[in-house]
Amino acid sequence: MRTASIEEKRRSGVWVWQAITGVLLVILLSLHMIVHHFVVEGGLRTYQQVLDYVGNPLVVAVEILFLVTVTYHAMLGVRAILFDLNLSESQKALVTRVLTVLGVVVVAWGVFLALALFRAANA
Amino acid sequence: MAVPIQQKSTGARALQAWFNPLKRSAGFLAFVLMRVTGIGLVIYLLLHMVVIGNLLRGPEGWDALVATMKSPAVLVLDVILIAGILIHMLNGIRVTIIGLGFGTSSHKGIFWTLMAVAALLLAYSGWLVFTK
Repeated sequence: MRTASIEEKRRSGVWVWQAITGVLLVILLSLHMIVHHFVVEGGLRTYQQVLDYVGNPLVVAVEILFLVTVTYHAMLGVRAILFDLNLSESQKALVTRVLTVLGVVVVAWGVFLALALFRAANA
Repeated sequence: MAVPIQQKSTGARALQAWFNPLKRSAGFLAFVLMRVTGIGLVIYLLLHMVVIGNLLRGPEGWDALVATMKSPAVLVLDVILIAGILIHMLNGIRVTIIGLGFGTSSHKGIFWTLMAVAALLLAYSGWLVFTK
């Protein structure tokens, strides 16, 4: 029986994470679209409606979970597309580093924003 | 020197193949749709994070922005965004099911069924976007 190479195991691990975050996103993105757009009159929350919503710590936790999940899924997806362009090992390493930094920046900005709005809602 | 040149041309060919009209199989169409919608959604995610930063400007900044977001041109973009989400999401479910080893023999049927579901959900979402 042939054993999987390190590269195959790595690709398989990435695929599993892409699938897990994808399944989570079906739930979290559907929830996000419904509560932020479809049930809101006019399709977008006003500033006061946003504060009323994010004043709940459970909502902030779910929004941050959504942000982390969607960012991780997005960066893994971009990485897979770029890796299919037959990059060299050093180029692959660079892509991974750049996408990791971009992902961390996006999540950090989103968490900062969520916490700032949570504080404003409860001030 | 020959290897890097060959690698570059292979990568470019892989990208060009996404838009090759001669490759018309359902599997290839699903692959291209997944990637094109994925890239579009990543660009939207980054733009969205910048736009919602306007919430820090308070009610004046955010509510003025919300008013401009209700123009017909932006609503059309919203429908395109929802189309991208539905295609990517339902296609992703198909990829996960196939990847787990289920329905491999009927993957074309699964693809077209899910795209039909996407079209129905898009029609309903489009109606909501323009009427609510």
